[in-house]
Amino acid sequence: MGAPDEIIHQPIRLRVMAALTAPGCDAEGLDFTQLKKLTGATDGNLGAHIDHLARASYVDVSKAFVGRRPRTTVTATGEGRAAFARHVAFLKEIIAGG
Amino acid sequence: MSLSKREADAQLAEIDDVVRRVKQSRIYRLSGEIAMMWGGLQIAQFAVFAVAPNSHRWTWIAVDVLGVAFTLLMLRRAGVGGGGRIWRALAAFALFYGFGFVWSGAIGHFGPREMAVFWRTLFLFGYCLAGLWFGIGFLAIGLGLTALILAVYLFAGPLFWPLIALVSGFGYISCGLWMRRA
Repeated sequence: MGAPDEIIHQPIRLRVMAALTAPGCDAEGLDFTQLKKLTGATDGNLGAHIDHLARASYVDVSKAFVGRRPRTTVTATGEGRAAFARHVAFLKEIIAGG
Repeated sequence: MSLSKREADAQLAEIDDVVRRVKQSRIYRLSGEIAMMWGGLQIAQFAVFAVAPNSHRWTWIAVDVLGVAFTLLMLRRAGVGGGGRIWRALAAFALFYGFGFVWSGAIGHFGPREMAVFWRTLFLFGYCLAGLWFGIGFLAIGLGLTALILAVYLFAGPLFWPLIALVSGFGYISCGLWMRRA
């Protein structure tokens, strides 16, 4: 049996990765506000967790201005997707091994 | 690090919950954009009608053809066109218009006001039904705008046409904006 991914294992980062790898989010990613709503985290907390994921190369963060408002978009990288898939497989293995 | 079966189960449930919410959020966002597009077309239709009152027949057809075409394009652009979904959407529009024409024209012989109210409320009836699957927001919009349109029909008198344009046009746009943020 494998091991849980230490980075994804944390609840907020798990939610972020689950959201970013959900069907339909593949290419376009999600913006910071959407992720905040989905994770229930505060701005600072979510920012720190996204940084953590970015340092592990699990997500890409891009910043742009839409009109006058700054917009941060987060997308899962190939490496992040693979890590998340491995983590989910590990969780399923535990359940199956019961 | 090791995980118990219960912890693994909780994490998988958490993942399912997030995926479900992302899916719902995408449905709301797309439906909001579609509602705003229909709202814009309704306002454009009324503007043309106000300038050229005899144009109502062709503007009505033009708005519906454009609305259906834009809706299909938006569905396709959003990546929900796979698995024959575009054809199903087209079939849904065909059924919608077929049902509407049979009742409003062949059986009902509705006048212009009844036509305006009937088609708008029939469209919103679809929102009410969608609400049973996709979330309470659709139901709230369907019932709320239907009530406003019926109130305009019953009480607006000579202000019927501007008010029906206002309610359906700006109503769809504001509901669309709300859905995009929901």
